[in-house]
Amino acid sequence: MEVLLFGIIAEKAGMGSMGVEASSTHELIRALTARIPELEHLSYALAVDRTVVIDDRPLTGSEELALIPPFAGG
Amino acid sequence: MSEGEAHKKRDIFMEGAIPASFIGESIAKHASRTDIGAHEIFLGQVRSDAVSGTGDGSVAPTVSAIEYTAYRDMANEQMITIREEAFARWPQMTCLHVHHSQGVIKAGELCFMVFASAPHRQQAREAVAYVTDEVKKRLPIFGKEILSDTTHVWKRNT
Repeated sequence: MEVLLFGIIAEKAGMGSMGVEASSTHELIRALTARIPELEHLSYALAVDRTVVIDDRPLTGSEELALIPPFAGG
Repeated sequence: MSEGEAHKKRDIFMEGAIPASFIGESIAKHASRTDIGAHEIFLGQVRSDAVSGTGDGSVAPTVSAIEYTAYRDMANEQMITIREEAFARWPQMTCLHVHHSQGVIKAGELCFMVFASAPHRQQAREAVAYVTDEVKKRLPIFGKEILSDTTHVWKRNT
Protein backbone atom coordinates (compact mmCIF):
# COMPACT_ATOMS: atom_id res chain seq x y z
CA MET A 1 0.00 0.00 0.00
CA GLU A 2 1.09 3.51 -0.76
CA VAL A 3 1.30 6.16 1.97
CA LEU A 4 1.31 9.84 1.03
CA LEU A 5 3.90 11.94 2.87
CA PHE A 6 3.75 15.68 3.43
CA GLY A 7 5.82 18.60 4.67
CA ILE A 8 8.75 17.81 6.93
CA ILE A 9 8.00 14.07 6.70
CA ALA A 10 8.31 14.09 2.90
CA GLU A 11 11.53 16.06 3.33
CA LYS A 12 13.03 13.57 5.82
CA ALA A 13 11.95 10.59 3.71
CA GLY A 14 13.19 12.22 0.52
CA MET A 15 9.97 11.28 -1.27
CA GLY A 16 6.30 12.22 -1.47
CA SER A 17 4.95 8.71 -0.99
CA MET A 18 6.21 5.37 0.24
CA GLY A 19 5.13 1.77 -0.37
CA VAL A 20 4.67 -0.19 2.88
CA GLU A 21 2.82 -3.39 3.80
CA ALA A 22 0.72 -3.48 6.97
CA SER A 23 -2.56 -5.00 8.10
CA SER A 24 -3.44 -2.37 10.71
CA THR A 25 -2.84 1.32 11.37
CA HIS A 26 -0.43 0.74 14.26
CA GLU A 27 1.51 -1.82 12.25
CA LEU A 28 1.68 0.73 9.45
CA ILE A 29 3.14 3.34 11.82
CA ARG A 30 5.75 0.83 13.02
CA ALA A 31 6.69 -0.05 9.43
CA LEU A 32 6.97 3.61 8.47
CA THR A 33 9.06 4.42 11.53
CA ALA A 34 11.46 1.64 10.58
CA ARG A 35 11.86 3.25 7.16
CA ILE A 36 11.87 6.88 8.36
CA PRO A 37 13.62 6.87 11.77
CA GLU A 38 13.09 10.66 12.18
CA LEU A 39 9.39 9.92 12.82
CA GLU A 40 10.37 9.06 16.40
CA HIS A 41 11.04 12.75 16.98
CA LEU A 42 8.35 14.34 14.84
CA SER A 43 4.71 15.24 15.51
CA TYR A 44 2.34 13.78 12.94
CA ALA A 45 -1.04 12.15 12.43
CA LEU A 46 -2.16 9.28 10.23
CA ALA A 47 -5.07 10.02 7.91
CA VAL A 48 -7.13 7.10 6.59
CA ASP A 49 -9.41 8.10 3.74
CA ARG A 50 -8.79 11.75 4.63
CA THR A 51 -9.78 11.39 8.29
CA VAL A 52 -7.29 11.33 11.17
CA VAL A 53 -7.22 7.94 12.90
CA ILE A 54 -5.55 7.46 16.29
CA ASP A 55 -6.74 4.01 17.41
CA ASP A 56 -5.51 0.75 15.94
CA ARG A 57 -7.79 -0.49 13.18
CA PRO A 58 -7.49 -3.00 10.35
CA LEU A 59 -6.44 -1.92 6.88
CA THR A 60 -7.62 -3.68 3.74
CA GLY A 61 -5.16 -2.03 1.37
CA SER A 62 -7.81 -0.05 -0.49
CA GLU A 63 -7.65 2.98 1.84
CA GLU A 64 -6.07 6.31 0.99
CA LEU A 65 -3.30 6.71 3.56
CA ALA A 66 -1.31 9.81 4.49
CA LEU A 67 1.10 10.95 7.18
CA ILE A 68 0.48 14.59 7.98
CA PRO A 69 2.72 16.85 10.09
CA PRO A 70 1.38 19.86 12.09
CA PHE A 71 -0.75 22.27 10.08
CA ALA A 72 0.53 25.70 9.08
CA GLY A 73 -2.16 27.21 6.90
CA GLY A 74 -3.18 30.83 6.98
CA MET B 1 -28.99 29.95 -2.76
CA SER B 2 -27.22 29.46 0.54
CA GLU B 3 -27.98 25.73 0.58
CA GLY B 4 -26.41 25.25 -2.85
CA GLU B 5 -23.58 27.56 -1.90
CA ALA B 6 -22.93 25.55 1.25
CA HIS B 7 -22.52 22.29 -0.62
CA LYS B 8 -20.68 23.50 -3.66
CA LYS B 9 -17.46 21.57 -4.09
CA ARG B 10 -14.54 23.69 -5.03
CA ASP B 11 -10.78 23.88 -4.85
CA ILE B 12 -9.61 26.62 -2.49
CA PHE B 13 -5.99 26.45 -3.67
CA MET B 14 -4.37 28.82 -6.11
CA GLU B 15 -0.80 28.81 -7.33
CA GLY B 16 1.27 31.70 -5.99
CA ALA B 17 0.31 34.81 -4.04
CA ILE B 18 -3.21 36.26 -4.05
CA PRO B 19 -3.02 39.44 -6.14
CA ALA B 20 -4.73 42.60 -4.81
CA SER B 21 -6.59 42.77 -8.14
CA PHE B 22 -8.13 39.34 -7.45
CA ILE B 23 -9.60 40.68 -4.21
CA GLY B 24 -10.98 43.75 -5.97
CA GLU B 25 -12.56 41.57 -8.66
CA SER B 26 -14.05 39.29 -5.99
CA ILE B 27 -15.76 42.27 -4.40
CA ALA B 28 -16.96 43.59 -7.76
CA LYS B 29 -18.64 40.25 -8.58
CA HIS B 30 -21.13 40.87 -5.75
CA ALA B 31 -22.48 44.14 -7.15
CA SER B 32 -25.50 42.36 -8.65
CA ARG B 33 -26.47 40.86 -5.27
CA THR B 34 -28.41 43.79 -3.90
CA ASP B 35 -29.60 41.76 -0.89
CA ILE B 36 -26.03 42.01 0.48
CA GLY B 37 -25.44 44.83 2.96
CA ALA B 38 -22.05 43.84 4.38
CA HIS B 39 -18.81 42.27 3.20
CA GLU B 40 -16.15 41.11 5.64
CA ILE B 41 -12.70 40.05 4.42
CA PHE B 42 -9.74 38.51 6.23
CA LEU B 43 -6.40 38.54 4.39
CA GLY B 44 -3.35 36.63 5.59
CA GLN B 45 0.03 38.08 4.65
CA VAL B 46 3.42 36.39 4.94
CA ARG B 47 5.27 38.02 7.83
CA SER B 48 9.03 38.44 7.96
CA ASP B 49 9.55 37.01 11.46
CA ALA B 50 12.99 36.77 12.97
CA VAL B 51 13.69 33.11 13.69
CA SER B 52 15.52 32.49 16.96
CA GLY B 53 19.19 32.05 16.22
CA THR B 54 21.64 29.41 17.27
CA GLY B 55 22.72 31.37 20.35
CA ASP B 56 26.20 31.99 19.00
CA GLY B 57 25.63 35.73 18.87
CA SER B 58 24.99 35.81 15.14
CA VAL B 59 22.10 37.87 13.77
CA ALA B 60 18.86 35.86 13.66
CA PRO B 61 17.74 35.16 10.10
CA THR B 62 14.31 36.36 9.04
CA VAL B 63 11.58 34.66 7.02
CA SER B 64 11.91 35.73 3.39
CA ALA B 65 9.15 33.47 2.03
CA ILE B 66 6.89 30.55 2.90
CA GLU B 67 6.53 27.60 0.55
CA TYR B 68 3.03 26.19 1.05
CA THR B 69 2.07 22.63 0.18
CA ALA B 70 -1.15 20.84 1.07
CA TYR B 71 -2.87 17.49 1.23
CA ARG B 72 -5.23 19.04 -1.21
CA ASP B 73 -8.06 16.50 -1.34
CA MET B 74 -8.31 16.30 2.45
CA ALA B 75 -8.07 20.08 2.79
CA ASN B 76 -10.89 20.64 0.30
CA GLU B 77 -13.04 18.04 2.07
CA GLN B 78 -12.40 19.72 5.43
CA MET B 79 -13.29 23.04 3.85
CA ILE B 80 -16.69 21.67 2.75
CA THR B 81 -17.38 20.67 6.37
CA ILE B 82 -16.31 24.08 7.74
CA ARG B 83 -18.41 25.80 5.08
CA GLU B 84 -21.47 23.75 6.07
CA GLU B 85 -20.89 24.58 9.74
CA ALA B 86 -20.65 28.29 8.91
CA PHE B 87 -23.87 28.30 6.88
CA ALA B 88 -25.64 26.38 9.67
CA ARG B 89 -24.48 28.90 12.29
CA TRP B 90 -25.08 32.02 10.18
CA PRO B 91 -27.97 31.03 7.89
CA GLN B 92 -28.49 34.59 6.68
CA MET B 93 -24.99 34.63 5.16
CA THR B 94 -25.27 35.18 1.41
CA CYS B 95 -21.94 33.68 0.35
CA LEU B 96 -18.53 32.61 1.54
CA HIS B 97 -15.31 32.44 -0.45
CA VAL B 98 -12.02 30.98 0.77
CA HIS B 99 -8.70 30.93 -1.10
CA HIS B 100 -5.26 29.73 -0.01
CA SER B 101 -1.96 29.90 -1.83
CA GLN B 102 0.27 27.04 -2.83
CA GLY B 103 3.92 27.44 -3.77
CA VAL B 104 6.44 30.07 -2.71
CA ILE B 105 4.89 33.24 -1.26
CA LYS B 106 7.30 36.06 -0.42
CA ALA B 107 7.13 38.14 2.77
CA GLY B 108 4.63 40.92 2.22
CA GLU B 109 2.52 38.91 -0.22
CA LEU B 110 -0.99 37.62 0.51
CA CYS B 111 -1.53 33.89 0.99
CA PHE B 112 -5.01 33.49 2.54
CA MET B 113 -8.39 35.09 1.98
CA VAL B 114 -11.72 34.56 3.72
CA PHE B 115 -14.57 36.62 2.30
CA ALA B 116 -18.14 36.49 3.64
CA SER B 117 -21.14 38.54 2.58
CA ALA B 118 -24.45 38.91 4.38
CA PRO B 119 -27.37 41.30 4.64
CA HIS B 120 -25.92 42.69 7.89
CA ARG B 121 -22.40 43.06 9.25
CA GLN B 122 -22.60 40.91 12.37
CA GLN B 123 -23.14 37.63 10.50
CA ALA B 124 -20.38 38.38 8.01
CA ARG B 125 -17.95 39.34 10.77
CA GLU B 126 -18.62 36.34 12.96
CA ALA B 127 -18.49 33.92 10.04
CA VAL B 128 -15.14 35.24 8.82
CA ALA B 129 -13.63 35.00 12.31
CA TYR B 130 -14.90 31.42 12.69
CA VAL B 131 -13.86 30.20 9.25
CA THR B 132 -10.40 31.81 9.50
CA ASP B 133 -9.68 30.07 12.81
CA GLU B 134 -11.05 26.71 11.69
CA VAL B 135 -9.06 26.73 8.43
CA LYS B 136 -5.87 27.34 10.37
CA LYS B 137 -6.70 24.53 12.80
CA ARG B 138 -8.19 21.87 10.53
CA LEU B 139 -6.81 22.10 6.98
CA PRO B 140 -3.73 19.99 6.22
CA ILE B 141 -1.62 22.80 4.82
CA PHE B 142 2.13 22.80 5.43
CA GLY B 143 4.51 25.75 5.39
CA LYS B 144 8.25 25.73 4.84
CA GLU B 145 9.66 29.05 6.04
CA ILE B 146 12.56 29.96 3.78
CA LEU B 147 15.00 32.12 5.72
CA SER B 148 17.24 35.00 4.68
CA ASP B 149 20.31 32.78 5.20
CA THR B 150 18.81 30.19 2.74
CA THR B 151 18.12 27.62 5.48
CA HIS B 152 14.52 26.71 6.30
CA VAL B 153 12.27 25.77 9.21
CA TRP B 154 8.82 24.18 9.17
CA LYS B 155 6.05 26.46 10.39
CA ARG B 156 3.35 25.16 12.72
CA ASN B 157 0.19 26.91 13.81
CA THR B 158 -0.18 27.36 17.55
